Amino acid sequence: MKPMPFDYARAKDVPDALAALADADAGARVMAGGQSLVPMLNLRLATFPRVVDISKIAELRERSESADAVTLGACVTHGEIEDGEAPEPAAGLMRHVAAGIAYRAVRNRGTIGGSASLADASADWVTTLLALGARFIGRGPDGEREIAAPDMFLGPYFTAMTDQELLVRIVVPKTSRDATWGYYKVTRRSGEYGLSIGAVILDPAREHASVVLGAASRTPLACTAAAAALRGAPRWTEALETALRTAIAEDLARAERPFEPHEAIMVETTILRAAAQALGVS
Amino acid sequence: MAAPSAPPALAAIEAPRPGCIGDRVLRNEDARFLAGHGEYLADLDIPGTREIAFLRSPVAHARIRSIDMPPGAEGRVFLLKDLGDIHPVRAVLTTPGFRGSDYPALAADTVRFVGEPIAICLGATRAAAEDLAQEIVVDFDELPPVVEIEQALDPASPSLHGWPDNICFVSTPGGGEVDAAAKAAAVTVTREFRMARQCVVSLEGRGVLAYWDRRLQELVVYSSTQQPHVIRTVLAKLIGVPEHQLRVVAPDVGGGFGVKNNLQQEEVAIAALARRLKFPIRWVEDRREHLIASPQAREHRVRLTAHADARGKILGLEAEAVVNAGAYSIWPWSAAMEANMVAGILTGPYAIDAYKGRGVTVVSNKAPLGPYRGVGRPSACFTLERLVDEIAAKVGREPHELRIDNMVRPEQMPYRTVTGKLFDSGDYAESVRQVAAMIDVPAVRARQARQNGTGPRRIGLGFASYTEQTAHGTDEWIARGLTEVFGYETATVRFTPDGKLIIEAAIQNHGQGLETTLAQVAAQELGVDPADVVVRHGDTAVSPYGMGTFASRSMVMAGGAVGRASRQLGEKVKRIAAHLLQVKPADVTLANNCAVAGARSVPLKSVTDAAFLHPENLPAGEDPCLDETTTFQPLSGTGAFAYATHAVVVEVDTGTGLVEILDYAVAHDCGTMVNPMIVEGQVQGGVAQGIGNALLEESPYDSGGQPLASTFADYLVPGAPEVPTVRIAHLETPSPFTAYGIKGMGEGGAIAAPAAILNAVNDALRPLGVELNETPITPKRILTALHDARTERAR
Amino acid sequence: MKVSFTLNGDPITADVEPRTSLADLVRGEHRCTSVHLGCEHGVCGACTVLIDGKIARSCITLAVSLDGAMVTTLEGLADDALMARLREAFRTHHGLQCGYCTPGMLITAHDLIRRKGALAEAELRQGLAGNICRCTGYAGIVAAVAAAMDEHETTKSAASIAAE
Repeated sequence: MKPMPFDYARAKDVPDALAALADADAGARVMAGGQSLVPMLNLRLATFPRVVDISKIAELRERSESADAVTLGACVTHGEIEDGEAPEPAAGLMRHVAAGIAYRAVRNRGTIGGSASLADASADWVTTLLALGARFIGRGPDGEREIAAPDMFLGPYFTAMTDQELLVRIVVPKTSRDATWGYYKVTRRSGEYGLSIGAVILDPAREHASVVLGAASRTPLACTAAAAALRGAPRWTEALETALRTAIAEDLARAERPFEPHEAIMVETTILRAAAQALGVS
Repeated sequence: MAAPSAPPALAAIEAPRPGCIGDRVLRNEDARFLAGHGEYLADLDIPGTREIAFLRSPVAHARIRSIDMPPGAEGRVFLLKDLGDIHPVRAVLTTPGFRGSDYPALAADTVRFVGEPIAICLGATRAAAEDLAQEIVVDFDELPPVVEIEQALDPASPSLHGWPDNICFVSTPGGGEVDAAAKAAAVTVTREFRMARQCVVSLEGRGVLAYWDRRLQELVVYSSTQQPHVIRTVLAKLIGVPEHQLRVVAPDVGGGFGVKNNLQQEEVAIAALARRLKFPIRWVEDRREHLIASPQAREHRVRLTAHADARGKILGLEAEAVVNAGAYSIWPWSAAMEANMVAGILTGPYAIDAYKGRGVTVVSNKAPLGPYRGVGRPSACFTLERLVDEIAAKVGREPHELRIDNMVRPEQMPYRTVTGKLFDSGDYAESVRQVAAMIDVPAVRARQARQNGTGPRRIGLGFASYTEQTAHGTDEWIARGLTEVFGYETATVRFTPDGKLIIEAAIQNHGQGLETTLAQVAAQELGVDPADVVVRHGDTAVSPYGMGTFASRSMVMAGGAVGRASRQLGEKVKRIAAHLLQVKPADVTLANNCAVAGARSVPLKSVTDAAFLHPENLPAGEDPCLDETTTFQPLSGTGAFAYATHAVVVEVDTGTGLVEILDYAVAHDCGTMVNPMIVEGQVQGGVAQGIGNALLEESPYDSGGQPLASTFADYLVPGAPEVPTVRIAHLETPSPFTAYGIKGMGEGGAIAAPAAILNAVNDALRPLGVELNETPITPKRILTALHDARTERAR
Repeated sequence: MKVSFTLNGDPITADVEPRTSLADLVRGEHRCTSVHLGCEHGVCGACTVLIDGKIARSCITLAVSLDGAMVTTLEGLADDALMARLREAFRTHHGLQCGYCTPGMLITAHDLIRRKGALAEAELRQGLAGNICRCTGYAGIVAAVAAAMDEHETTKSAASIAAE
């Protein structure tokens, strides 16, 4: 189980990386932490003439904080976020999510930008960043542009970035201080990809609620009806649960395909439990 | 029939002595593994070795029209025709009615499963060899595949091997009056059960390295195998190299569990090719190859009917077990091993006088089936023990009490089962009573009453009991119709002139701790320090002929051989020591590296010095040197039967379909324990694999015969969070048929876990109208069943 | 392609194909055969090593990407005090059978203890979740790591008392 031959180039900075991507015929592929890419190469499921390693680009390792947002370079690792070596925008949600991705040995090299670029709907960041309303900054031959989370993830391995663009950083809006969140992931084996992920963020100070269902379809599903049902809800009640179930059914009906009965049960559970957690019920 | 050979002198141990049989001796082999110095097949460093990648079939069933070689393939790519005059493997049973088929080392005309090897490709590195394999173009004329059991049973399906249909063998074990039992029964319960196809997953894959040794004029074959001697025997026949010019070595082996307990096609192909090359060649199986192309396991469909009286006493059983054995018959077990085993042991630990069984082996376009820890027993136990719970539910009794009532009683021992097995010893019901006390049945029932129905998480309690046939003797293998009979084991025990001891055994130690436990047996007899004993194994050049490590046999069989050899060697040591001490041999005992007679003693070193270097100091007529070779066979031809009852408490999340194991207890009896620490490790490890079987592991195929689980992302094996620490109680009833009363026990943990867990999950969900009789019980299966039951109730 | 890094304290320079994994490089030329390959797709953990002091999967790390890095395999921890305690605890608690997962398990446990200090059993098990053992059923491993963790904590607190 060894990869096909390829060339390797280590980009020293972003322009260097963009130059490598500019020549479409060269077929270059960006590698950040390589924790998804190298397995695919090893399995010969993917093959590229050239791999451009961006993991050492200093700019992509930067992280910063402003009054209303945290900005993370694309090559910040899950492990760094887990360890609090990056600012936390969302009352601990990002640290919590990071700590639950695969295994520590993978988190030490895997990056948030790499995960977002793969756009696997069962990956934690894809779901979480959509729930947080993150913005993705891509840089290409024509300079930088910003892509809002709902426009970013188009399908597995398919984002709004073009082949000549590089995801350079992710801007995550800060929640209010008293915002709460719930994150519920169903896995059959610890550290595996989720079968279903529910991410709920409640920010009463901003009258904002967001609910995202991950892993259950090709792209994460923004559950707007469920979010509406949760907006302003002060606590978990039976009435709220009933209303949420109705709202979830409404959201699921908008999904790209009908859910099998067993999937419907699981995703409903996922969202309900994430919501309950956000309202302080474990 | 071979004469039983266990001398009654090797009696059960009354009081364990330090370092001897019964002591928790820490393992001799640990030091090298903990330093990272284990030497597995991929670690061998032989100059000039070229690496192999197999070109494997990407399709399930096809004729090969042509194979186009890339430029530079000359001398680097080898097909069947390039391997010389070799025979295909033909693994058959001697039993009439068994349909044989050829399994060529490399497919030449027809491929019958995805992953079947077609060509050997060589490269300086594995990557280069894979590059070469990828450039070969095979033109396949695809044939319709036969994939699932129902297709294989359908006479209209294409025949894989030119037989009238795809049924390889049908066995019909049983006895007694089942019709009478059915008439007398107050309750009759019938169910259909399915156990999914699994992969074995040793953490180290298989692997072979072979070269021709010019000096010794022998073919050296390193293989990650559990049975080097018998592999040599069969390889010699197939590739035409005489056995005395063939050496098979198993280096450190990173787990076997049965998957390395077969002749492998890759071994045949590589050995045959190495004979014709001037440099060593090596194949290291990667994980994808392991998951799709190594022998797989299970895939049973069992229909079982029980007739019982109003109290649940089972009067008779009727069973049909169909096993999908895949494309080929694996040597030496044959394709029929699983089905025959399931049908042959379905009466479990119970005294059931009437049984009508039918074991059906079908072939299909899937990877061949081979042994995996437990072989047919996890399925047989799952089937019978699930049905016992359904009988209990029907007659309104606690399942564990029903088990107690049905079990063979101690006073019935030795007990001949309706299928001819001879249970040797033990109190089966006591294992139920003990484990029921450990798990605290009333407390679990009270917790269920409090919790179930109040939320999404429901508690369930499950039991499962079994007997585990181990250390099968000659009769058993003959009865099974094997072409080679594995009824004995051999060992040489030899002192060195400096007073140290070497054991040379034909078994292969790949995690079982035999480098320690065999030393404990020698310590028992010779008074040596077990930490100072070297155990050599796994190499046809270092030990006398023997069968290897499988079927929970090595401790009983090799332990018995080491015990006998050590006992005989000890007699000679005593004679020499008596001469040196000027006492009678009968007065000499061996302990603490000394020969002792009353207040006088002499170090063993002085004895060995006399034996090897100063024959002038030997008693008159005593030959120099100190070594002894003996064989061992159990007194009963069907071996020794370990047994156990497992009890498990689970919590089923009806919102996610996930099952959490809250508590797991085992009360087991493997006779005399040589090393309780190692016994517990085997129980715990077996349970972990059983948990995988119950909840996680499945190798599904699509309708085209493509295996869908080819990575660890698809094929899930349990990790540390999924496996609880098992609480273990030991019963210790010695076997009357083996040395020291030892029974084998390596597979037991894996046998009962699927049954116990499924019983617990069903116990949790029964009030909701759910019944699950298929492994693994995935979230999808549980949630679908819950949904269906809800829909049914709403109707 | 040339790459230079430190392997178990020794500077090395290797000329490798870009597709060569760190595992294949250190196992081959440098005979660090404690690094075992169990899946080559980053799941089983048998190939776990330290890169710049952090655990990583050497099977899915390209050797050429490690220029200037510090790589440590189990061979490089032969004299490490915590690793010595772990090895002893693995032996005492029967935390290994076939030995194939053992080096990766030891390195992961070593990292877990250094990073986390004391952990409840459930967290400890989560910390080991990325290392598959097919033999032991984990009970001996968990007991061994817990014992080494306790001892490490005791040693640490003794050291801090002594320092006061």
